[in-house]
Amino acid sequence: MFFFRRDKPSEAMVLFGNVATIGMQLVAATFIGLAMGYFLDKWLGTEPWLLIIFLLLGIVTGFRDVYREAMRLQRGAEAESAGTRGAGTKDDDARGGSGRQGK
Amino acid sequence: MAAGLAHPLTYSVILDDALGLHLPPHVYYMWLAMIILFTCAFVLRGRLQLVPGGLQNVFETVVGGLEDFVVLNIGEEGRKVFPFLCPMFIFILVMNYIGLIPGCDAATANVNTNAAMALTVFVYYNYIGIKKWGFGYIKHFMGPVIFLAPLMLVLEIVSHLARPLSLTLRLFGNIRGEEIVLVLLFILAPVVGTLPMYFLFILGKTIQAFIFFMLTMIYLKGSLEHAH
Repeated sequence: MFFFRRDKPSEAMVLFGNVATIGMQLVAATFIGLAMGYFLDKWLGTEPWLLIIFLLLGIVTGFRDVYREAMRLQRGAEAESAGTRGAGTKDDDARGGSGRQGK
Repeated sequence: MAAGLAHPLTYSVILDDALGLHLPPHVYYMWLAMIILFTCAFVLRGRLQLVPGGLQNVFETVVGGLEDFVVLNIGEEGRKVFPFLCPMFIFILVMNYIGLIPGCDAATANVNTNAAMALTVFVYYNYIGIKKWGFGYIKHFMGPVIFLAPLMLVLEIVSHLARPLSLTLRLFGNIRGEEIVLVLLFILAPVVGTLPMYFLFILGKTIQAFIFFMLTMIYLKGSLEHAH
């Protein structure tokens, strides 16, 4: 199998997956903020204000999500490099063991 | 093939005319994916062997690899949610690959299919969180500092609502785009133009299915682990 090396998802796939997820959340959060503001305005009759506030909140949320995602990726990379430098064989053993248990 | 272009003659159109049901194409191709998977499942269940061969080997590699991946990321609790995650991946993968067959359309190239799946994911991870933490699940929305809690609540709600939207649009945009590119290249240079793209799109479609699976896993991890 091309996408599954040694019984687990290949590194390229995990890498592509991680990178490709970052951008979309920014856009989606902005639009959700915009939509929430728009419909709250319609409901409460406070024409432009909630739209502006929630749009800004949406943008803030989007950037915060991107930041969080980047931090998560960095932590993962650091943990991986620490694992290969330190107890590489032990880690491999643990992975293989848990895999065999599952079957 | 891309359903967005003028009068694409796909098998579902012919089938729909014959049956007279007036259903959109993506419903037929979703049923096709279901039929393929159910057939595989029943055939495999009938002749499970200790030493796997052929089809069983393929499925064991995929399912075993994904289970290891989930357990590595979520921990032992991942085994509880794995029956939700793995079929998600295989189902999306099969639906994506069906789009590569000439005369067929990927069910995921329609926004309705993806929205249904993304909303299922949204409901499921919130259900898992509420089931595990009870009312304390709201702490996941509060953030670490108590006097910032009202602001964080709004931010988290926006962030959580954005998740199904981004899941839907990412899968839809990628798969639909690939289908349209295939059709356009086929118009420009039949067979010669499309053949190299198949390799790229097999990669792209697998990665999109994997991304959907991985994000679902990350969301489930977020609702299962302790609030910061």
